[in-house]
Amino acid sequence: MMKQFMQAATGLNHPGITQWKENGGAIVGYSCSYLPAELIHAAGILPIRLRGIETTGMDMGDAYFGPYICSYPKCILQQAAQGGYQMLDGAVITPGCDSMRRLFECWRKAGEDHQGVVPGFFYYFDVPHKTVDHRMKWFVDEIDSIQKAIETHFEVEITVESLHRSIATYNQGRKLMRDLERFRTQLPAPISGTEAFAISIAGTTLPREEFNATLSNFLETLENRSDKNPENPKRLMVIGSISDDLDLIKLIESNEKALVVADNLCFGVRHDAEEIPVTDNPLEALAQSYLGASTCPRMFGQYKERLAILEKKVESYSVDGVILQNIRFCDLHGSENGLFERDLEKQGIPCLKLEREYGPLADTGRLKMRLDAFMERIS
Amino acid sequence: MTLTAGCDVGSLTTKAVIMDDKAVKSSALIKSKSNPEASARQAMAEAMEKAGVTESELSNVIGTGYGREKIPFVTDVKSEISCHARGAKWLLPSIKTIIDIGGQDCKIIRIDDQGEVVRFVTNDKCASGTGRFLEVMAKALYMDISELGDLNRKSNSPVTLTSTCTVWAQADIVKFIHSGIPVEDIGAGINLAMAKRVSTLVNSVQPEKEVCMTGGVAKNRGVTSLMEKLLGFRLKPIRRADPQLVGAIGAALFGRNR
Amino acid sequence: MRPEIKEYNYDWMLGSLLKTASGIGNCSEKEIHYLLKEIPYFRGTLSVLLREGEIGFRFIRMLSLYFENLLNARDSGKKVAAITFCLSPALFHAMNIVPVTLEVMTGLAGLLWKRGAYDYLDYGCELGFTETSCSSQRGALGAYMAGLGEEINMFVCDTPGVCDTNANAFAFASAYLDKPFFQLNYPHTIGDDKTKQYHLDDYRDLITFLEEQTGYPLEEGKLRQILMEVDKQDDLLAELEDFHLLKPNPIPVIYNLFIYIGRFLFSGCPEYTALLADMLTAVESNAKTEKSGLYSGKENIRAYMCYIDHYTLDLNFFNWLDQHGIAHIGGILSRNFRDNAGYTANLEKSTYGIDTSNMTTMLSSIAEMNATLPMVRSIRGPLDGPNMWLEESLSLARTYKADCIIYNGTPGCRNTWGMVKPFAREIEAAGFPVHIMYGDAFDDRVETWESTKTRLDEFLSIRGLL
Repeated sequence: MMKQFMQAATGLNHPGITQWKENGGAIVGYSCSYLPAELIHAAGILPIRLRGIETTGMDMGDAYFGPYICSYPKCILQQAAQGGYQMLDGAVITPGCDSMRRLFECWRKAGEDHQGVVPGFFYYFDVPHKTVDHRMKWFVDEIDSIQKAIETHFEVEITVESLHRSIATYNQGRKLMRDLERFRTQLPAPISGTEAFAISIAGTTLPREEFNATLSNFLETLENRSDKNPENPKRLMVIGSISDDLDLIKLIESNEKALVVADNLCFGVRHDAEEIPVTDNPLEALAQSYLGASTCPRMFGQYKERLAILEKKVESYSVDGVILQNIRFCDLHGSENGLFERDLEKQGIPCLKLEREYGPLADTGRLKMRLDAFMERIS
Repeated sequence: MTLTAGCDVGSLTTKAVIMDDKAVKSSALIKSKSNPEASARQAMAEAMEKAGVTESELSNVIGTGYGREKIPFVTDVKSEISCHARGAKWLLPSIKTIIDIGGQDCKIIRIDDQGEVVRFVTNDKCASGTGRFLEVMAKALYMDISELGDLNRKSNSPVTLTSTCTVWAQADIVKFIHSGIPVEDIGAGINLAMAKRVSTLVNSVQPEKEVCMTGGVAKNRGVTSLMEKLLGFRLKPIRRADPQLVGAIGAALFGRNR
Repeated sequence: MRPEIKEYNYDWMLGSLLKTASGIGNCSEKEIHYLLKEIPYFRGTLSVLLREGEIGFRFIRMLSLYFENLLNARDSGKKVAAITFCLSPALFHAMNIVPVTLEVMTGLAGLLWKRGAYDYLDYGCELGFTETSCSSQRGALGAYMAGLGEEINMFVCDTPGVCDTNANAFAFASAYLDKPFFQLNYPHTIGDDKTKQYHLDDYRDLITFLEEQTGYPLEEGKLRQILMEVDKQDDLLAELEDFHLLKPNPIPVIYNLFIYIGRFLFSGCPEYTALLADMLTAVESNAKTEKSGLYSGKENIRAYMCYIDHYTLDLNFFNWLDQHGIAHIGGILSRNFRDNAGYTANLEKSTYGIDTSNMTTMLSSIAEMNATLPMVRSIRGPLDGPNMWLEESLSLARTYKADCIIYNGTPGCRNTWGMVKPFAREIEAAGFPVHIMYGDAFDDRVETWESTKTRLDEFLSIRGLL
């Protein structure tokens, strides 16, 4: 079971994907956690998060993006331009942030130079930055538009019933993730941060039914798992920029005293929103749930709410230290990390701020030095 | 009497010290080789020879620095942040904030009365604000890094240097040389860019006095005096040892407690 | 931040320098000659302004008045709002709020002080604000976060969805200083009815927010007065714009700066109207004699600045254009897309008109006016979308017969750095040589002016433009 999660977390073309393709299924990649994946799922299409793992160079990324751009979208583009996303039948780009939104242009440009790297369905999906009424209405319209676009392009019909079914399936996954999280709050926690992170990443790329079933089985084994984590570890929380880098969590946990018990990451369990209610108007329900929770600093002006989320997590997961990482040029997380550091340290919660590059962890040595020093500090 | 050793394998230099219960018995400082183990062996051998001791007489050898994981003969390893804190506290008991400028990075460490690390920051990916930056710049000026420090006193109008990128700064220097700008103004500009960069980092941890500098750049009077000016307080000089050895001393001190 | 810098108020320093400078108008030439000797750093910038004679003084006086308003805001019972250059200050003037346009505040430090806003730029980083954030806000914000400026009562921006880095600066400062924050939020479309309705709904929220902050409702009469003044300004601007079409271009290079700084600070205020009227007179007289606005008198080529200009000491960039005989035919900042401006003919549906008949029409007018400001109008959506950056740049470059297009910004312009390479490709394909400047418009330390200049010279010679 863990092997299945690990495979999905560390390889773009994991068995879940190849099997889906062999069965003739369509796949749509999307760039941001603000896109309601239920919508794609309801069309019988496999929604997967776009990722930049397994890149070896950055030449393609740099050919289209300017120099002062986050390495995350550059790595996605690198993958796309060198043919790593051939399994995609569609891609949806959102203005998650300024770096990510321009994947829309750069990817298309790469398509002019490299045959067949742009999926047939290529869509720009607008996501507002606030939740007032007229903005929510706009978002509902956007969801409605993309639904129609999917229906037209893939010649499918997304019915209210199929949306309800998809919402129910995703809700089940959310419930299972919450169950998993409860294990992580335990002292001692029976699961490592690396394993837990692998599971939540796998959730963004495995077919949802398969993910739910595997996770459900895994949770049963967790009940009886004898504690294999270090004794009296220092319990850490990792927050900040987008990360699907299992190696980062591994690196942190390579310190024998460190155990990552919580995160607030885009690929992690940041979106542990309440289950989405099944109503007559599923689009409205999706809009409210996805835009309503102010989890990402792209929702400007809601810093206090996000600080409160962290404070609550520090308490419920008995966190000893917080690692605030950001990818270079990620001003949104980078700056907010500065505020978090100020406000958490004030409450006596040790913080370590790290700026890094996404992609193959080239500066492992430098990161390790700081992580070790941080562990020495809080030990 | 117990003898301990600390070995600090950095990106540019490798340092080793041997200590007894009271003081530093001997030390060695060499340029790092491509192989951390070889660097460590050579520095240790030099230090042991100076002290007239053999490896078996050492009760503990503590490794630190970038290459610390790759030294086979150490008893334990410690991060250089903890080592610099420990070493500086031992050399200057009143110290609260340590600015360490190493070859590849720059660390600002705040410690409490017991010498425990309370907070620290390091510069991120870029080489500016590090010893490497000064080395590259000195090379562009065809001078030795040790000569840079004096240039401030001779300069009346330091040049403005790009502070964010070593490569660009280097290109600027070449241009300055060609346009006939006096070398002392260029050198002073280099020191200023360095001091500004580091001061910003220092202020971000809300430094507490006393403050000292460790690492090779602490010996560059041009940078330290500018830093004092920018920060608005005096940097306490380390007199009892070469500031470049502080990390290794800290490591050796960790060896005592084992 | 160096301790001695904490001794001085940022606004006061800039304001007193400009106030002193505005008195020079009464000096004899000899006096000015000696005065310039005494101000080695401000000299370069001041000389450029003095070269413009009365119009230069009017500009300095306008800036000086701006600081007077700001420094006396609290005593006159007014609130102070930090705003951004692509948010119109007109509404703020109508509601008796003093707008502090952060980018202008940072830019002025760069133009007037030898060390520019360096210390303030770095101070933001000391507080945890990323150094990769845009310098244009970071400089002035550094001063305000250090408590070295007038107290900011609220932070208002309209850049989420347009420039996240910009919006993030406002969000950071408001959280750091614990002051209210408001964002106008723009979708990726423009021109259709749905978007217009959205603009209006959002703008109404802004008004409600400002009413809450000040405790006073927006008065219809005051809004009308301000909008009628904007209307006058737009007429003058439309006339000025037409002169860009002439060859040689009779508009002096530096007028571009006057045009947009004036709008960023005093849109809807008579001081700006007067400045524009004077500028128009001067340009008309140049045009009559077929005189170029360039000091060399000879126009070699015409450059379209597809983004912003460069604002470091001595107005180096503007001087460079002048010395090389390059006519500056405007950029993203100098235009506001009023429907009566000639250049909007090919860019319909993304312009605004002014109708002051009643409150409803005025609100629609001002909401649309704000929606067509720099960046807000053309980088809200995909690069090649209708009316967006590519179409706008190509259309303007063609209208004004540009010989080349120059991109300059700051490393913080994430949104344009993300698409500037595809952009340049398209522009080149359309036949315009493009130069991308890699420096920072507000921070000489990122790339020194010497390097920037070398690269610009290189571009001109390699592309056979000069």
